[in-house]
Amino acid sequence: MTAADPLFSGSGLTLAVFLIVLIKVVVAFAVLMGAVTMMIWFERKAISDMQSRIGPNRVGPWGLLQTLADGIKLFFKEDLIPAESDRFVFKLAPYLVVVPAFLIFAVIPVGGMVTIAHHTFQLQVADPPMGILLVLACSGIAVYGVMLAGWASGSKYPLMSSVRASAQMVSYEAALGMNVVTVLLLCNSLSTRDIVNAQGGAFWHWNLIRTGIVPFVLFLIAATAELNRPPFDVVEADSELVGGFNTEYSSIRFALFYLAEFMNTITMSAVMVTLFFGGPAGPIPNIPHLRWVFPILWFTAKVVAFCFMYIWFRAALPRMRYDQLMDLGWKKLIPLSLAWMLLVAAAIISWRWALVALAAVVLGWSGLTWAFELGAERELADDAVLPTIGQRPLPGWELRHITDGDEDWEMDESDEDADSDEEVEA
Amino acid sequence: MNAYLPVFILMIVGILFAGLSFVASGLLAPRKKPTAAKLAPYECGIVPEREPPQRFPVRFYLVAMIFIVFDIEIVFMYPFAVVFRQLALFGFLEVAAFSVVLFAALLYLVSNGALSWGPAVILTRGMPSRTSESTITRISATKSTDGQAA
Repeated sequence: MTAADPLFSGSGLTLAVFLIVLIKVVVAFAVLMGAVTMMIWFERKAISDMQSRIGPNRVGPWGLLQTLADGIKLFFKEDLIPAESDRFVFKLAPYLVVVPAFLIFAVIPVGGMVTIAHHTFQLQVADPPMGILLVLACSGIAVYGVMLAGWASGSKYPLMSSVRASAQMVSYEAALGMNVVTVLLLCNSLSTRDIVNAQGGAFWHWNLIRTGIVPFVLFLIAATAELNRPPFDVVEADSELVGGFNTEYSSIRFALFYLAEFMNTITMSAVMVTLFFGGPAGPIPNIPHLRWVFPILWFTAKVVAFCFMYIWFRAALPRMRYDQLMDLGWKKLIPLSLAWMLLVAAAIISWRWALVALAAVVLGWSGLTWAFELGAERELADDAVLPTIGQRPLPGWELRHITDGDEDWEMDESDEDADSDEEVEA
Repeated sequence: MNAYLPVFILMIVGILFAGLSFVASGLLAPRKKPTAAKLAPYECGIVPEREPPQRFPVRFYLVAMIFIVFDIEIVFMYPFAVVFRQLALFGFLEVAAFSVVLFAALLYLVSNGALSWGPAVILTRGMPSRTSESTITRISATKSTDGQAA
C-alpha cells in the first residue's frame, strides 16, 4: 500500500543518494525561507491595498525586499532577557516553535517524480509511512513552544496569552485530527504521497468533492484557529494582551517567532492542498522535458490561493471573543466532524447504512441541543459545579432604562437641565 | 528507517539555523548592560504592582483533561481509517459503538456546563436580550437632543 520514495529502493544508502537527500533538504529550506519573506511582503501589501494604503514600497522593486531589511535590522537589535524570566526555557522556546514549522513542510508532496543521474526520486523532502501523523505531531509540539514562551517570560500578558493559546490550540487540534480521519477513510494510507496519488486525475477526484466539502470547511476553520490567525487570534489580541505570548521577546528571538508564524501559514495551506485539493494534481500539457514543472506550478498556485485567503480573512473578519471561540471548537466543530466522519464511513459501505447513520446523527444532534440547554440552566443554578467566569456587573440603570423602555425610573433634574443647556448652545 | 533520514536532516538544519541566528545576533547586537527598568516585565511603562497570576480558572485545566479523552479517541480512529476497506461493515459498527460512548461523554460534559465559557448568559439574565430594535431605540434616545437642535 505505501509507495515509499523510489530513491531508497535501490542499493541502500549510497553517497549519491545521501547527496540527493541533502540537496533536497537544502532546497526545501531555501524555498521555505524565500516563501516566508514573500508571504510577509504579500500580506502587508495585500492588506494595505484592501485598506487603501500603499504599504511597503521603498526597499527593492515594489518593496519586495522589505522583509529582508526588517530581518537584517532585527539582527542588530539588543537581545534582552527580562530579569523575571526563566532563562533556559526563555531561550529554548523559539527552537520549539521554529523547528516543527520546518519539519511539517518535509512531508508535503511538491511535485511528481524526477530522474536525475539515474536516480528517480519524488519532489518531496521525505515520504515516511506516517506522513500525516508527523504534521499533527509537529503542530502539537508547537503548542509547547507557545506555552513555554509565555510562561518563561515572567510577565502578566504573555502568561495569559500562552494559557489562552494552549487551550485554543489543543481544542482545535481535536477537530483538525477528526477531519483528517475522514480523508483517510477514502485514501486508506497515512503517507502524504498516497493521499495525493489517490486524488489524481480531474478535480472531481479531489477529496474536497469526495468527502462532500464539509470536512474541508471544518478543517479550514480548525486550521485557522490552530495557526492563531485572524479571526481566531485571541492569543495576540492587541487591545487585551499587548502583543501576545512574545511580548517580552526582542531582537532575533522575536524574529524567529514571527518567521514561524508565517511559515506555519504557508505549510498549513500546503497541508490543506495536499489533503483536499489533490496536491500537485492538475492538467499537464505535453511539452517535452518540461512536464515535471507543471505539477510544481499547480501546487504553488493552489498554495498561493490559500495564503491569499488567510490574508483576506485577516483584512475582512473581526476577532472572535474567547468564549465564542471555545464554543465553536467544542460544541460545533468536534461533534460535526465526528458526525460527518461516521456518515462518510457509512456511505462507503452502502447507501442504506448512510441513511441509518444520518438518522443516528440527527438523533445525536437533538440530544446535543438538549444538553446545551440543560448546561446553560445548570451553569446559572446556585449549586453549579463550576464558578462562572468573568461575572460582569449589570449595566447602569440609565442604560437599562433606555434599552428596556418602561420601568419606574426618573430622570434627574440636574440631567434635564444639562441637556437643555446644551440645546441652547447648539 | 531511510524515509525518516531527510526529516532528521531537516531538523538539524532548522536547529542550526535558529542557533546560528542567535550567534549572529550575539555578535552584531549592541552589548550594553540594560537598566533595571528595561529588564522589568512589560507593563506599558508603569512599575508592575502585582506578580503574574499563579492560579488560573479551573476551566483551562478542564479543557486540557477533556482534550486528552478526545485526542485518544482520534488516535484510535487513525488505524481504523487506514484499514477501513478491509474491515468494512464490522469496522463501521465498531467505530459507531465507540463514537456513541464518546458522544455520551460529550453530552455529559456539555450538560454540566463543563465547556461553557464567558459571561454572556449572566449578562442577559437581568436584561432583555439586545435586538436591533432596542439598539435603534437606545441610539435615538441618546441622540434625541441633537436632533431637536438641528
